[in-house]
Amino acid sequence: MGRTSIFSLSAAVTVLAGTMPALAAWQPQKPIEFVATAGPGGGTDNLARAVQNIITKHKLTEQPIVVVNKGGGSGAEGYVYGKASAGDPYKVIFGTSNAWQQPLVSKVAFNYTDLTPVAAMAQDEFLLWVKQDAPYKNAGDYLKAAASGEFKMGGAQSKDTDEVLTRMIEKVGKVKLTYIPFKSGAETAVQLAGGHLDSHVNNPSESLGQWRGGTQRPLCVFSPKRLPQGAKVTASEGWGDVPTCVEQGLDIKQYEQPRTVWLPGKVTPDQAAFYVDLMKKVQATPEWKDYIEKTSQVDTFLTGAEFDKFIKEDLEHVKQVAGEQGWLVK
Amino acid sequence: MISRRTLELATAILTGGFGVAVVVQSLDNGIGWSSAGVDAGTFPFLTGIIIVVGSLYNLVRGVLPVATLANVPIAITPIELRRLAGLFVPAAIFVAAIPLAGMYVASALYVFAVLAIPRHQSVPRALTMAGATAFALYVVFERAFQVSLPHGALAAALGF
Amino acid sequence: MDNLAELLHGFTIAVTVPHLALMVVGVLLGILVGVLPGLGAPNGVSLLLPLTFGMQPVSAIILLSSMYWGALFGGSVTSILFNIPGEPSSVATTFDGYPMARDGRPTTALATAFGSAAIGALVGVILITFLASWVAEVALAFGPAEYFAVYFLAFASFVGMGGAAPIKTVVALAIGFAIAAIGIDTVSGSVRLTMGVDELVKGVSFVVAVMGLFGIGELLVAVEEEFHARAVSSKIDWAEVFRAVGRLPRHGVALLRSAAIGCWMGITPGGPTAASFMSYGIARRFSRRGRYFGTGEVEGIISPETADHAAGTSALLPMLSLGIPGSATAAVMMGGLMIWGLNPGPMLFVDQKDFVWGLIASMYVGNIVAVALVLLTVPVFAALMRIPFVVIAPLIVIICVVGAYSVSNSYLDVVMMLGFGVVGYLFKKLFYPLAPLVLAIVIGDKAEDAFRQSMLMSRGSLGIFFANKLVTCLIVAGIALLLLPLVLQLARLWRKPASAAAETTAQEKVII
Repeated sequence: MGRTSIFSLSAAVTVLAGTMPALAAWQPQKPIEFVATAGPGGGTDNLARAVQNIITKHKLTEQPIVVVNKGGGSGAEGYVYGKASAGDPYKVIFGTSNAWQQPLVSKVAFNYTDLTPVAAMAQDEFLLWVKQDAPYKNAGDYLKAAASGEFKMGGAQSKDTDEVLTRMIEKVGKVKLTYIPFKSGAETAVQLAGGHLDSHVNNPSESLGQWRGGTQRPLCVFSPKRLPQGAKVTASEGWGDVPTCVEQGLDIKQYEQPRTVWLPGKVTPDQAAFYVDLMKKVQATPEWKDYIEKTSQVDTFLTGAEFDKFIKEDLEHVKQVAGEQGWLVK
Repeated sequence: MISRRTLELATAILTGGFGVAVVVQSLDNGIGWSSAGVDAGTFPFLTGIIIVVGSLYNLVRGVLPVATLANVPIAITPIELRRLAGLFVPAAIFVAAIPLAGMYVASALYVFAVLAIPRHQSVPRALTMAGATAFALYVVFERAFQVSLPHGALAAALGF
Repeated sequence: MDNLAELLHGFTIAVTVPHLALMVVGVLLGILVGVLPGLGAPNGVSLLLPLTFGMQPVSAIILLSSMYWGALFGGSVTSILFNIPGEPSSVATTFDGYPMARDGRPTTALATAFGSAAIGALVGVILITFLASWVAEVALAFGPAEYFAVYFLAFASFVGMGGAAPIKTVVALAIGFAIAAIGIDTVSGSVRLTMGVDELVKGVSFVVAVMGLFGIGELLVAVEEEFHARAVSSKIDWAEVFRAVGRLPRHGVALLRSAAIGCWMGITPGGPTAASFMSYGIARRFSRRGRYFGTGEVEGIISPETADHAAGTSALLPMLSLGIPGSATAAVMMGGLMIWGLNPGPMLFVDQKDFVWGLIASMYVGNIVAVALVLLTVPVFAALMRIPFVVIAPLIVIICVVGAYSVSNSYLDVVMMLGFGVVGYLFKKLFYPLAPLVLAIVIGDKAEDAFRQSMLMSRGSLGIFFANKLVTCLIVAGIALLLLPLVLQLARLWRKPASAAAETTAQEKVII
């Protein structure tokens, strides 16, 4: 509770300061719009709404916040909207690595350089999942079986993170997989439960209920070290019991999906700094910890040069995979 | 006066034009059906072709004086055309005014104009209705459900 | 009868004073957002969601699901009174509901719609109660090939009927498919048919198309025909509300058939929209008064409404047991479940018995509360028809404009909506059917995705549609429904070749 009052106090102080423009940094003067580049209920939408709730609850800014869904075209709708709102500091765009990956592989009318990066706030992990009664117990068995059969790998969207990872598995594991794109991770999970697929690479939250219900299980996680233990998911296992893929001979050290926050292009550094600061405050709240834990994500905060570096590295990586697959748009 | 034949022709040309656009655009996405699946442009291409062929058929049917179509030689009489314009033209002006005047001001002006100018209602009543419409929109959308409607360039210039 | 005991326990949770109060609040709010086009259950749910975090999960879901029922009922109001369907699933209600209301019987139309909707919903809940585990298993059997087969069946039952010229039907259908394809394609990830307009990457929303085609299009037709000379005289008639509901049992066959179609489409991935269209199509084909459909037939309202609500209700089951949301609202509710710390999935029924059975019990009670409240509002809504046309017309224009805008805060949508209005008018005037076009916009891209996913799985072979019993049955049933009208037509031609041509001309009057 002490923290809350300090925050509201500091908010009050900054608002007071806002009335003396010569002294203070930039403060919002009208309602702020959070643009989720996903439909209602998706991971990105949940993040935007969680941040909205935390800001409202702790009164981190005096201005009201409205969440708008612009998930059309795999999120492109929201980014194009952000591009069109150049110079408007009242639109905050919530997205994923889509912001830089999508322009590489499809003719969308934006690039991540049209937006002002604010921060990457959380990382979603990827796991390799198979049906509960599948015969293979680890990633090695899976690869062996995949080498001799025509395995069907499901995932959300086409030429997006899931398919990029699938192509990496193909290359590293020297197998050939048939990738079948669905609308969302939840839909993919149900297809695996029904036996229409052999595997998928869902995020933890997308398949949590299914794992607990005994329709599918994770073989390994694409992360340099095991996930934090946390509570047990099934009777005997929790996230920390899932081995890393490297441990099991599938040599993909790290693959993560960052949840990213952007402003439209051409906003002033002052305005961007306000939002960086705002997101930092959000991250310090107990509600944020709670959100991270319930959605089984990893807490990170990348901003400024660090975030830039992350984007550049990821971009190089995706470019390479996309180039090999012939996905790059001319 | 617009004859049924003209209207049929115009509509067939409209749908046919859309069909051609669909065919041309779908070629960009690639058409084909192989063991690697069906290409993105294949189905749009096929539907485009169907639209074009169907429109051509409707065009020919529309021009030929076929018995079934000859029932109503005149589609829209001058009076009807005036009534249509009386509804559509103000609506189009209303939509065109939104970016400048914003949703609230534009809809108030629109309600006032269509009620007061043809003298359907007295000026004070039209004014009241216009005000009430804009106010109701504001309360329901902006306040209650937090859906923000466009405020318009004028409002932005005035600092709202 | 384990389930029965669980259900009774559920009732003890749902039927308490605070929960009943929550239901009333939820339903009223739902009716409000349902009636106002441009706002929908998703708006209401996402607005209430933050308020629910302090509540017990059971109370929260009762509030949200009551709002969902209210919105489902409210959605039919504008379809019937103004020919503006606020959601895809109430399009089919306009076909007979609107003509009946225009004919001076808005009270009858609304009461019939609400009454049959409630029956549909109750059948859906009963199904969930007793067949929950079986239903979940059935839903799992559906892969891409089966999805496609279900969509195909929905198309087949609807297309190929109606009095329109066949080529015009084909053109309308194909235009619908093309519109559905605009935007990013799921299977390839590439941008399609944007015609050089960057913003179209988001696709063309159904609401935008329907507000124009139906709302504005109908307004133009009405003003031209000078309908408006007389405002519909509808006096507030409470007795008619009860008479209309009392007449429902006479249409028992239609009710049962529609409820069955609705449940089937709700469990399988067809969803409420496909269910209402399919139910209407089948009713028109099999009802004795089928050829009067489109002029204000009672069964033309009963069939789509019953199926819509049966499907809407039974579609909540896959959400709970599998974690796939059947609609945008369900998706927001699912987000809520996670925030409350519940994970949708097979274990929810085991881990969270109170929650699940409290919810199911509240579906019974909530629907009864909803239908009681909504029937009370019928005379109020029906009185809207007495407002003179010159006043109501600009209001309808504003409603359509605001509705189109608020779908995704886009001015382009408003302009497109007006364009669709002109197209709707032209199509109506020239007897192009609108229903196939709308059906194609709603499920065209889903059908295409499913087909292409199947082709990826089968490496391009159509054999996948005959690979197992389930999919084969669905496909064969679809083909049979598609060919039926042709066969009937041929048989009629065989008997009396002369009168057939005259009949097509006469039929030009009633086209949906």
